[in-house]
Formats: sequence, C-alpha cells, structure tokens
Amino acid sequence: MRTLAFGALVVFGAFALAFPFLVNGYWLSVGVLAMFYAIVAASWALLAGYAGQFSFGHMAFVSLGAYTSGLLVKWLDIPIPLGMLAGVLMCGIVGSGIGFVCLRMRGPYLALFTVAFSEVLRIVIVSENEVTGGSGGLEVTPLFHARTDTPYYYLGLALLLGSLAIMQFLVTSRWGLFFRSIRENEDAAAASGVKVVRFRILAFAITSSFAGLAGGFYGHYIGILTPDIGSVDQMGLVVAMAVIGGTESIVAAMIGALGLEFLIEALRSYGQWRLVLFGALLLLTIRFARNGLLALAWQQVMRLGSRRRMRSIGQEAG
Amino acid sequence: MPGSPPLIEARDLTKRFGGIVAVSGLNFAVQQGELIGLIGPNGSGKTTTINLLTGHVTPASGHITLRGRSARGLAPSEFATLRVGRTFQITQLFSRMTVLENMLVPGLARPHSHKPAATATARRHLEFLGLAALEKLQAKNLSGGQQKLLELGRALMLDPEILFLDEPFAGVNPFLRDEIIVLVRKLHADGRTFVIVDHDIEALQRLVHRMVVMSRGEKIADGTVAEVRVNHEVLRAYAGV
Repeated sequence: MRTLAFGALVVFGAFALAFPFLVNGYWLSVGVLAMFYAIVAASWALLAGYAGQFSFGHMAFVSLGAYTSGLLVKWLDIPIPLGMLAGVLMCGIVGSGIGFVCLRMRGPYLALFTVAFSEVLRIVIVSENEVTGGSGGLEVTPLFHARTDTPYYYLGLALLLGSLAIMQFLVTSRWGLFFRSIRENEDAAAASGVKVVRFRILAFAITSSFAGLAGGFYGHYIGILTPDIGSVDQMGLVVAMAVIGGTESIVAAMIGALGLEFLIEALRSYGQWRLVLFGALLLLTIRFARNGLLALAWQQVMRLGSRRRMRSIGQEAG
Repeated sequence: MPGSPPLIEARDLTKRFGGIVAVSGLNFAVQQGELIGLIGPNGSGKTTTINLLTGHVTPASGHITLRGRSARGLAPSEFATLRVGRTFQITQLFSRMTVLENMLVPGLARPHSHKPAATATARRHLEFLGLAALEKLQAKNLSGGQQKLLELGRALMLDPEILFLDEPFAGVNPFLRDEIIVLVRKLHADGRTFVIVDHDIEALQRLVHRMVVMSRGEKIADGTVAEVRVNHEVLRAYAGV
C-alpha cells in the first residue's frame, strides 16, 4: 500500500508540475483557483475535522486577509509579500479573538455565531465603500505582470504544498493529538492535562491565518476584490469541498477541493444543474461516507489489496 | 506523614446549581496514602465533590488546598499537571482515537514529556491493565469494562499522587469488579492515594480503610468502615431507619 501511495504521489506531482504545459489559459486559471480553494478547504478541515469547531466564518478570514493585503499595498505601497504577511497576521489576531469569544459555543451556536461574524464583516466592507470600494470592488495590485497565469500557478502550488506540509506536521504532532482529544471530549481532555482554552484559540488562530494567506494570494491574483468573497455561498462551497473529500484528513479535503473546482468548471455548460448534481453528491457523501469519498475509496483499495494478498497466500499454501 | 498538610483538603466548600445546593459547607481532608470510599444516596453530592476537587466545577464559596497551597480556581488541566487524576461516572474516552492515542494525550500533555518515553509508559500501563493487545483499536470498539480500564489507564498516565474514581464498579461484571479491586490495591501499594465514589458498598468494604458518607450535599459520617456501618445518620439516610 505504501508503494501505491508513493506511486500516486509521484504521478500527481509530475502532473501538477507539467500542468501549465498541458492545458490552455482557461484551465490554467481554473488550476490557480483550485490551489486557492484547496488551501481554504484543507485549513477548514483542520479546524472542523480535527479540532471539532464547525465554523462558518472561514471565508470571512479569506476576505479579511485579502482586503488587509490589498489595502496596505495600495495605501502604504509596501511590497506585496509583506502585505500578504500582514493579512496572515491580521487573521491570526482576529481569529484568536473569535476563538476566545466562541470558547463556550458548540455545534449550531458556533456555526451561527461565525455566520453572523462573516455577515458583519461583509456589510462593513460594503458600507465603507470609500475605503474598501464597497460592492463595486477594490482594485488590487497584481503579484506578477506576466502574460500568462503560469507564475501564479507555481506560486499557488508552492503555497499549497507549504501550507499542507505545515498542517500535516501539526496534525501529526502533539498539538494535533490535543486538537482531536478536544473534538472528542473536552472534559476528558481537560482532565488529561490538555489546556483546552489555549488549544481551542490556537486552532482558530492557526486556521484563520491559512485562510488569510489564501485570501491574500487570491486578491493579488484576481486583481479586484468584492465583498462576495466572504459570503455564506462561498463558505458553503468550501464546506462541501472539504466534506466530499473528507474533513478528517487535510490531504483528502485538499483533493476534494481540487477535484470539485475542476468538476464545477467542466460542467459549466449545464448551468444551474451542475449545482444540483453537486448538492446531490454532498447529500450522498454525508449519508453514506461520513469521512468523505476519498476515505471510502481508500478503504476499498485497502480491502482489494488485502484480498489479493490473502489469495496469493492461499495459492502458496495450496 | 505526621505534621505534613493533607494532600487535598476542602474547607467549608459549597456549590449551588441555581436554587439547588449540591454541596454544602463540606469539610474533607485526604492524607497522603489514604484509600477512601465516598458513598451516599443518589443526589447526595458525591460527584459534585469530585468535580470541585478536580477543578471541573467552581465552588460558590469555601477553600480547596492541594499539598497545603490554595487550589481554588485552578482549571482541570492544572489539577492534572499537579498529579491529580480522575475518572468519570459515565466513562469519558476519546472514542474515535486509538487506545494508545487515548493514553498519549495525558502522557504528552505533561510538561517536558517526550513521545518515545510517553509511548513506553503508555505500553507499560496497558500491559498492567491487560489492554496491551488492543492498543491499535479505536476506543469506541472496546467493551464497557475495557473502556473503564482504559479510562483508569489514561488517569495513570498523569503519574497521579491522588486518584478520584467515580463509580468504577458501576455496570461491571463480578470478575471485572474483582480485577479492578486488585488493580487499585496494587496502585495503592505503590503509594498512590485514592478516593473512590461508588454505590457498591460491598466492594468498597473490601478495599477502603476510611469511609465518608454524604447526604443532601453534607458530610454525615467519616470514619472506619465498621464505624460508618453502625452510624445512625447513615442508616437513616440510606434506609430511613
């Protein structure tokens, strides 16, 4: 199975590197956006799937990161990477605050609170149109002055792989263990010596920072920011991507986001019907594969592998 | 040790939930090395007492000291760091985590802990509890009895000086009950202090040296098992005699 996983990784890596040379400009731009969604979905999976905090405000942090970087670069003329870093820090700080306020909230209460937070932020952006450009949008300095999206694609890929590496390191570290213990049972975690308050806030701060990073990248790629980026619709899309991939695995959520972004674009000619299909897929996943379609697929591969192994052992014995 | 402060002590401890007084003016000291049974009818405040003495609920008034120092207002995780372990009335595990991971949470939450050492300690405790072969299983797939043992094992990972066990004999078969009694005796012989809440008075009589009885949030008796058995207030609380 390790060989299979390694083989899949090599093929996926080679395909990802060669992608800009295999597709036209339209699909390359879809690829860039897929990277953006993959970072957002993976970080949401870390918050909801690992730490058990079902936030509906993750896209608000994308918006916050994007606007922070866009506005700082515009007003202070600072280098874009510094603006993006400021967006990450801003999201980390605001994320800590939201994490602190939400300490005693669970399930639907937390979800409702975070929906309200994202709506408040969206309305502030709409209302403060002299600063943010309101519904008309904020023009954001592009990261590269290139004719193609290829530099954005490789930067997006690097950010995605870097984010994944950090998140994967986190979930396999003792922090990841503590996040999961809090998700499973807060009282037992506290009785085991886990500083529940600290780790709940940390989970919010860390994942919000990743959302801010994705937001900064998105803003400087798209070139114009509108308040809709932080809307509940967008949040629903990210949740669906992570749930269909699998919320209890960072990699599964990422693959879910990449796959669905391409699928949505591939089915564009079907108009609204593609969203119906998308919704049906989400319902089926929740009903039959609560750990996501990738976990289900992986289980089938494992089962097939062990069946083959048993058969070969049987043949050798016979 | 004579002259040394109690390991843990409650003074005039009171806890109210709305209009209900769950614990009222409780005075209760536990010396190092004691093995105490805490009994009382349903709703007498036993579990609330454990929750107060492990930081899971905050007292309305009164004092808690741990090794002579005030422990009032400490979070449960701080009690755990100070080597106060506990189990719960209804077993509380990390259900979708493996048996070994359940053990590693407290092991790695301890200051200056390292994964290889924590894993070795966890495996030693699992061996002691007879769960070694199950370390890769998810906790939710264990039997009820095994879950109780795992919860005890998880508390042991804190290397606790004092362990509060909340109804360890509830819902377990007689064989497992005997096994738990043997395990507690061994751990007590190693120098650990125990406060055990349970309704199984027969099991407690075989195990504890001192019995504390609560009724309606108050301590009504405190003494040896023989003393408590003939105490009129205890008989009245239990049987209305």
